[in-house]
Amino acid sequence: MTSSRLASSAQTQPAPSGPARARPLADLRLVARQVRYEQLTFWLNPVGAVFTVGFSLVFLILLGAIAGSSRVNFLGHIKLIQYYVPGFVAYGVMSACFNTLTMVLVNRRETGLLKRLRLSPLPTWALLGAIFVSTLLVAFVQVIIMVAVGRLAFGVELPSNMGAFVLAVVVGGISFTAMGAAMSTVIPNQDAAGPVTSIVFFILLFLSGLWFPIQPGSGLAKFSAYFPIRHFITAVFAPFDSVKGVSPWAWHDLLVIGIWGVAGCVIAVWRFNWSPRRN
Amino acid sequence: MSAVSVTNLRKSYGSVRAVSDVSFAVEQGEVFALLGPNGAGKTTTIEILEGFRDADSGGVDVLGVDPASRRTQRWLRSQMGIVLQELAVEPFLSVRQVLTRNAGYYPNPRPVGEVLDMVGLSGKAGARVKTLSGGQQRRLDVGLGIVGQPGLLFLDEPTTGLDPAGRRATWELIRQLGSEGTTVILTSHYMDEVEALAGRVAVMAGGQIVASGTPDAIGGRDAGLVTIRFRLPADVPASDLPVAGQQVNGGEIEISTEDELAVLHALTGWALDRKVAVSGLTVRRVTLEDIYLSLTRGSDEDKRQETRR
Repeated sequence: MTSSRLASSAQTQPAPSGPARARPLADLRLVARQVRYEQLTFWLNPVGAVFTVGFSLVFLILLGAIAGSSRVNFLGHIKLIQYYVPGFVAYGVMSACFNTLTMVLVNRRETGLLKRLRLSPLPTWALLGAIFVSTLLVAFVQVIIMVAVGRLAFGVELPSNMGAFVLAVVVGGISFTAMGAAMSTVIPNQDAAGPVTSIVFFILLFLSGLWFPIQPGSGLAKFSAYFPIRHFITAVFAPFDSVKGVSPWAWHDLLVIGIWGVAGCVIAVWRFNWSPRRN
Repeated sequence: MSAVSVTNLRKSYGSVRAVSDVSFAVEQGEVFALLGPNGAGKTTTIEILEGFRDADSGGVDVLGVDPASRRTQRWLRSQMGIVLQELAVEPFLSVRQVLTRNAGYYPNPRPVGEVLDMVGLSGKAGARVKTLSGGQQRRLDVGLGIVGQPGLLFLDEPTTGLDPAGRRATWELIRQLGSEGTTVILTSHYMDEVEALAGRVAVMAGGQIVASGTPDAIGGRDAGLVTIRFRLPADVPASDLPVAGQQVNGGEIEISTEDELAVLHALTGWALDRKVAVSGLTVRRVTLEDIYLSLTRGSDEDKRQETRR
């Protein structure tokens, strides 16, 4: 080891003297690049991809095939499949944004992956932003699959009010992403992530009428109105215009979902942890 | 200029004092080892240097900036490489994908092919991370630490879980980085590793540095007693020896001395003159592990938990 060798490989560059320059384009590229790797990570994980996308698809096809043509009297006498398609659009969004995101975040936190990336030069906002954008992308893939299967396999018309439909999906996607992030902060370890999330999620799905539509005004309807899932199903159902006289813009439902989303944000920001919980 | 300097560092978690009044400096290009039992405050100290935690008080300077400063944090992280104690690698991406992804975070990354060579994973570039053995994953972890060409590298127990060949290869890599001017801060539970790599060592116990120095002189190791052991034939009594020795387990004779040259001279001269077949002769200076254990005795985890109560 000679001194000239030391001098020739001085690797440390001087620290910036002023505030970091804002480079919005470079930062945007950084996020886009990270989103690409997040997508790669998601789709290369067979369990994640199959559970998230495959589940909703299998559910919709089975339920549609078994009960799709029976009629729902209290919902304008529509075919059940006309209810299931928007229901499973909502389910697809929720499973990606709430269920899967919760497990991804808990897994990464507990295996030290979050801490590791936190200590890389990738800014925190870019990392979390990319995770959330990637989650929403998976949700939108699910929406497209559900609507396409509904149209092609069961002849369910596309939403007649596309604007209201997109709005409902976007508000739901963002809000459930926030709730998923919040949920990850209350789960202590990887082993608990799957069961806890699934129990909470599937019980509420059941009570919110994903599998069996709930009669408006019933006790169950009143109970499930406190939670965001039923509102989300209703908000996605409305733009399909299956029942005459129902406005496609479900403002009240969107408001309730939004409030849950804001609450999720607050909890996530307040409790978010980068290190494994056991330390 | 020191790459890292710490003065009077303090950090508590609630009522538990993790680090109390720690000061040290690491020079540019130095391989510096931080030793201590679990819970001695090593990880907390390193996490403060990395900017992952803020200190309660004290001065911290890393590559000329305060690691807690938001303004320079992104720059500082582009100059540091970090290998954490836990294995943290994406299971589903390939080795090359993970390295390429992380290389993109740094302004001046090392070519991915070069990193693969350095950590001995060229043959596994296309393999999914989850199909790698634990040792290979650890080497990938080290590769992620050096892909940004860091001027300062933190290695938290980098060879835990590696087989002997993997350990030696990682040592070579660390030596190479050190000779290129990379500053390395290392923690390890393997004393041979510290002796082989570190230019300087600090031993932490109970949140404080209890000793520091070069591995061969720390804790008075260079001035300590030397233990000479050997065996005499059955018909030669120990009382015939020219120097006083003690009979220990299994009929071995042990001599502890500060003047090993004179004792050995007397002993071997006597044995050759008398044609006494002295066997199993060993000369052992007090080891780094002996010093380490005596420095950290009484500050183990049990005692810490008692004080916590």
